[in-house]
Amino acid sequence: MTSQYRVDAQKGIGSPRLQASLHSLQDRFGKGAMALWAGMEDKDMRKRVKKSRMKNFEHLDILLAELAQNVRARGGNVYFAKTAQDAIGYTLEVARKNGVKRVVKGKSMLSMEIAIDPALEDAGIEVVETDLGEYIIQLAGDKPSHIIAPCIHMNRRQIGELFAEKLGVDYTDDPPALTLAARKALREKLLSADMGLTGCNLACAETGHISLVSNEGNIRMATTMPQVHVALMGMERIVATLEEHRETVQLLTRAAALQKLSTYVSFLGGPSSANDPDGPKEFHLVIIDNGRSKILADPEFREVLACIRCGACLNICPVYGRIGGHAYNSPYCGPIGAVITPLLDGINKHADLCKGETLCGACKDICPVQIDLPRMLAALRHKLAYGSDRWNTRQHNPAEAYAFTLWRLLVTRSFLYRTFLKIGRFFQRPFVHKNKMIRKMAGIGSGWTDGRDLPPIAKRTFTELWSQKYNKDLAAQPAVTEEEI
Amino acid sequence: MDNQTAFLTTIRTALDEVPNAERSKKMFPQLFSSPDTTGILKKIRGRTVEEQTELVKILRKNGNSLNICTHIVESFKEAAAVVIELIRTKEPEFNYTKHVIMHDHPDIAALQLWNRFNREAVTLHTTFSRDPHIRDKTIASFIGITAPAIIVADSATLIQITEPGRPRSTSLLPSIHIAIIRRENLVADLAEAYALLREKSRLDSFVFISGPSKTADIEAHMVHGAHGPREVHLVVLSEPLSAQGFEKAPEEMGKHNDSNLMTTSS
Repeated sequence: MTSQYRVDAQKGIGSPRLQASLHSLQDRFGKGAMALWAGMEDKDMRKRVKKSRMKNFEHLDILLAELAQNVRARGGNVYFAKTAQDAIGYTLEVARKNGVKRVVKGKSMLSMEIAIDPALEDAGIEVVETDLGEYIIQLAGDKPSHIIAPCIHMNRRQIGELFAEKLGVDYTDDPPALTLAARKALREKLLSADMGLTGCNLACAETGHISLVSNEGNIRMATTMPQVHVALMGMERIVATLEEHRETVQLLTRAAALQKLSTYVSFLGGPSSANDPDGPKEFHLVIIDNGRSKILADPEFREVLACIRCGACLNICPVYGRIGGHAYNSPYCGPIGAVITPLLDGINKHADLCKGETLCGACKDICPVQIDLPRMLAALRHKLAYGSDRWNTRQHNPAEAYAFTLWRLLVTRSFLYRTFLKIGRFFQRPFVHKNKMIRKMAGIGSGWTDGRDLPPIAKRTFTELWSQKYNKDLAAQPAVTEEEI
Repeated sequence: MDNQTAFLTTIRTALDEVPNAERSKKMFPQLFSSPDTTGILKKIRGRTVEEQTELVKILRKNGNSLNICTHIVESFKEAAAVVIELIRTKEPEFNYTKHVIMHDHPDIAALQLWNRFNREAVTLHTTFSRDPHIRDKTIASFIGITAPAIIVADSATLIQITEPGRPRSTSLLPSIHIAIIRRENLVADLAEAYALLREKSRLDSFVFISGPSKTADIEAHMVHGAHGPREVHLVVLSEPLSAQGFEKAPEEMGKHNDSNLMTTSS
């Protein structure tokens, strides 16, 4: 059976449009971020921020209690949601109490993780994405394929046709004209919505604010114009002090889009005060666990919670750069997605993700907080190979495990190995093509030959060639080791 | 609160701490300790006019690359001239009449804009905190004028703090945002800005604004004016107020014009 990952990956590889946009994205932002780190004056900043992130996890209960207390002191509501269902239930209740008919959303991957949109829609509430990229995706009934550039897989012609069909504007493929059309349509929605629903990039415990970054201004709109603001926050997205906030948010915007700061950074921590003519009358902060405490408890994976969701690892990953975001089948794609998706949603269920990455280490190099994703990808593979009770993971492929046990037996016994090679050489003969390569193998072997030709087993092994050529010298001299060569 | 207790207990369990023993921040004085900012504050307050002028230059340069238009003026009169020119030459985006909304701030009142538009089809509004119609007036306006408290030269960032009479939407809904700023309110970088923010107790919401709203979601093509203003103008007052003998103290200005609708003619 071919997995969905393979099907979607092949689809991505086969799309010249996607390949072109991924290439230019990586060329600009991936290389750009690496150059930024190389040229940074304050070389310790990334290390410092990582250290503070990890330190804060050790005191996460205190930080969250402090944040909640400070938000409540300003008249805001704080709800702690253990599961996705809890968070949805609470948000629906807030919507019901306020008679909400239309929700405008600021981009939030957490909202996708907990699948709140369908729940709101089932309750008869219109849900409108307001980030331009997300809005296009929503109109197209598609899925985002990059953390900060959700519609990177679509070109201007498709978007023009989509707008002509859905917004009733004249067809154009001019990006400024298309943006203007969306600006007009969304302004109406933003001004008439009853509730704004956003995520939270980074909360500051000591001041009791959540902060949100955006370039478009949709987050400001969604948190200013509707009567109710609900912010969904992953429990790990918190810093203790303003100083930590400053450094972390700068790393976020630099890594995400090479900006010193995004156009807007909003700090929100409660309903508008009595004198305020605008701003929400109600503010609800929903702090969500949904599997994060399990990651926190495992020292092997705790580090991944330090992620600030900048998307930089997508901009350098050779695998993401070819297959695109859809193959990951998760709100979180790329290398970071390949680690957190299995941890949040089941290691067996998303077995292909960690196996698909190359462990080349580029994601670790570019990560603003230097998360060792390759180490964790390997750890996930270990769980799949041997099973894990803690993660409720079963051995992914017992047949593979048997095959490798046999292989180990074979390669550690030289007589057996040589015999195996001889048999192999005999049986491969009919498959060797005119170009002296094997072009096609059957069954599970086809994976090796679908995309390229495979060289046949050589007539002699390297050891045999070596001893034949240097036999006489070998007798006279001690063996030459690799280091000396 | 019950779910909070359960939630935090889960976290303590995950951290191998005693699950039911609530931990307080007093047990970890290092956790919320922040570096001493008195040195930074002293540096900000001790800046000479030359140093401030240098910051204005840096602000202008960094603002340019973010598509911010910087106008450096010597007096309120000159500042008013810049603003008036913008109001006259720019066209409304969402309707056909020229409405302008302004924060209730002495530096904006000192522009005395109402004196200049008594014979033109321009309507001026001020966001007095008692006015129940500010939302509608803001939606109708094509230009919003604010006077941000802190300006960061390094990232060309305006820090707009929500206060009575200074709502959030003035710098957001209109197509053009004009910020009247004083040279002495400039700081060099974010570290200085955060030191000033730390000083303020009971901060309400605030926002960092670095340039006009923009998006690159369609084929990575940069377009200005996604949801927020498509133009941002900074009017930098380079003459300290005390040097302007001929102008009235700004506080008095505010009292003079205690009406919501300053001037209307159409």
